[in-house]
Amino acid sequence: MDGIQQRVFMIGWEYPPHNSGGLGIACQGMTEALSQQNTQIYFTLPYLHPQAVTHMKVIHCQSDDSGQFRAAPPFSTYSSVNSAPIKFSSSTSPIELSSLAQSEMEHQVNEYAEKVLSESKKLSDDYSVVHAHDWMSFPAAMKIQANLGKPFIAHVHSTEFDRIPSGHGSHYIAHTEYMGLQQANKVIAVSHFTKKMLIDKYFVDPSKIVVVHNGVSPITPSLSSHFAANRPVIVFMGRLTAQKGAEYFIELANSVLQKIPEALFVVAGSGDQYHYLLLRNADQHLSASVLFTGFIRDRQREVLLDRADVFVMPSLSEPFGLVALEAAQRHTPVIVSTNSGVREIMSNSIQVDFWDINKMRDEIVKLITNQDYRQQVMRGQNENLKEATWERSAQGIRNVYHDLITGAQ
Amino acid sequence: MAQLCFYFQLHQPYRLRNFSVFDLTESEKNYFVDDRNTNQAIFSKVAQKSYVPMLSLLYELTQEVPKFIFALSCSGIFLEQALAFEPRVIELIQQLVSTSQVELLSETYYHSLSSLYSLDEFVSQVRQHTRLIQKLFSVTPKVFRNTELIYSNDIAAKVAKLGFIGILTEGVERYLHGRSRAQLFISHSKPAIPVLLKHAQLSDDVAFRFSDKNWFEHPLTAEKYLYWLDSFLPGELINLFMDFETFGEHQWEDTGIFNFFKTVVHEASKRPDQTFVKPSVVAALPYLEILQHQQHLSPNPSTIYPTYDVPEPISWADVDRDLTAWRGNSLQHDTLRLIYSLEDKVLSSNDQKLIEDWRRLQTSDHFYYMCVKWSADGDVHKYFSPYDSPFEAYNRFSAVVADMESRLCHEHSS
Repeated sequence: MDGIQQRVFMIGWEYPPHNSGGLGIACQGMTEALSQQNTQIYFTLPYLHPQAVTHMKVIHCQSDDSGQFRAAPPFSTYSSVNSAPIKFSSSTSPIELSSLAQSEMEHQVNEYAEKVLSESKKLSDDYSVVHAHDWMSFPAAMKIQANLGKPFIAHVHSTEFDRIPSGHGSHYIAHTEYMGLQQANKVIAVSHFTKKMLIDKYFVDPSKIVVVHNGVSPITPSLSSHFAANRPVIVFMGRLTAQKGAEYFIELANSVLQKIPEALFVVAGSGDQYHYLLLRNADQHLSASVLFTGFIRDRQREVLLDRADVFVMPSLSEPFGLVALEAAQRHTPVIVSTNSGVREIMSNSIQVDFWDINKMRDEIVKLITNQDYRQQVMRGQNENLKEATWERSAQGIRNVYHDLITGAQ
Repeated sequence: MAQLCFYFQLHQPYRLRNFSVFDLTESEKNYFVDDRNTNQAIFSKVAQKSYVPMLSLLYELTQEVPKFIFALSCSGIFLEQALAFEPRVIELIQQLVSTSQVELLSETYYHSLSSLYSLDEFVSQVRQHTRLIQKLFSVTPKVFRNTELIYSNDIAAKVAKLGFIGILTEGVERYLHGRSRAQLFISHSKPAIPVLLKHAQLSDDVAFRFSDKNWFEHPLTAEKYLYWLDSFLPGELINLFMDFETFGEHQWEDTGIFNFFKTVVHEASKRPDQTFVKPSVVAALPYLEILQHQQHLSPNPSTIYPTYDVPEPISWADVDRDLTAWRGNSLQHDTLRLIYSLEDKVLSSNDQKLIEDWRRLQTSDHFYYMCVKWSADGDVHKYFSPYDSPFEAYNRFSAVVADMESRLCHEHSS
């Protein structure tokens, strides 16, 4: 279904290959599918994008005096591991950004907003909707809305309450989110889980919120990976922060090993809990049973998701959780936190409270020892995956555009 | 003026290649060789900067100064790597040994912490080391030097039972109780054994501080150093123990370290009441007295010599001279626990490659790299570590142990 052409001014922050989280990947999947459905997209980034993108027009909105902070390597929460150095001129990732001093953070976001506004003015006849992804882009969207009267959609991939589950996150970020969400003409939430968060924590009018789940790009099944061939492999992949619940994964490992001593656990990722988790792992005598890879990307990432016998995502608060879909695509049974958005479209995955170690352990033991059960879960996941496409997401997004343009409620 | 007892340590570990969970495959693997031949490259670099020039200088000095004698200790894995990468280093040591002015000490083949974890393994490694020394140099060591001079009453007893006539360690203030280290001690153990205590200050003045411009004694001239040595009384024993790599590697040639040493040896030899000694000579008489006492032929040596009572292990490392460089955090504790927990399984596999890998993993350096101490000690650790962080050292080591466990399970269980 191509439908009529829609033209949108989209405000991004990161885009593959440079990304540190799900936002860049989501923007790629979404814009590719939207362009297939006759959508003309202008996509802004706060840095010069290193690769040619053909399905949309990328607008580079780097401010002129920005050399000061972009010339230096980003202040990175990943500095503890061998993440490949970012070679191209690039922005600060959302994770990195939120670790900056507030003044620096504000500076970057405001600079970007100014630059985006000036670009949006030049193109003001060429689009009818502004579509802004997460808080970094909200100030820019609000400026366009105020200056040009264009309607603005706030697309929420993650909130400060997800990232800092203790509730002690940045007031500046939470406030920026609040302002953007209040000002937005429409809000897209990546899950009902997030919609509820927006209503409960940000007091957003429920009638303004539309849930559009993310999709997942199809993969070309290529690799067969056989490391640790004789051992059940259970994988965690994500940033090592309180949000993602890696602590629970280590506790889970301890519990499973009492039933399956040869099980091998892999923790892939880095973050502020990295050193703490390694020490905790050793404290519990798990050094040869729970291995840490540090931050991994591309092929190693795929190999791990492919090889895993079980993938576990014990997040405390996960707006969506794309990686669980990526694991499922590679025929890996997934256990996802009930506090996640992805569970809403992966009804056949195993869903457990992040703190319920015993239940997760029992599920893992069952998946590893009971082939029938395993096959049943995988078949169910495959069914779910058929629906989890970006085409479907794009249709949902285009409906929101349509409603805004036509003034429908 | 006093007796000068020099001992230099030669050691190089087999550093681990970048090994991770993705390498847990069935294929044949070498944990210690990477694409860049890091171990060979490091060995060759240090050979060029330190081993070859300093061994050559030492040989020269033995020829020029007939009374110059000293001790060397070489870990087994140092000698293995020398044979493989820089055979001329072996030839130079052979040449030195042939002068009879050099004493070779005993230690664990793998430069391990086995003295703290497994008596059987400790004894095996000491014997393996002796065999290699005999094979390469046709001598049998009589005096023992434990990895990093790690020492306790318990270790002294083990070493004495193996028949050694002396042992070297650090003179640690908290066990000296104000007594001078410039004298021979005997151990507080059954059986007892003569103990030579490192003179930390005079040793580290050369090993660590020689080129330190912030040190108020900098620059350290031979004249100044000799002046300090002159302040000792005849008969006092000054044990100058240091890393061999002090010469040319830790202190580069351009600091003047080689000339400094050469001058010290020449000038010291000219002083009438100053002598060079080697550990086995120093230990010989007290050792005999201990033996005679055991046979009730002479009085208790503890009435003649001061006793060094060390209930908790000490070493020559870091500010506190304790074991926290190798087992001060849970990363180190758990990996050490793991490696020694495999002992029975590994040895009963009779798989020589597996046994050798397991022993190479016992080398103390692996645990040293996992140290997360900071400030001055941290700087020293960082200098010696080939990895970016202690956590990377832990990750590599853990993955290798996991791989080894798989090998044990699948190759030897059935």
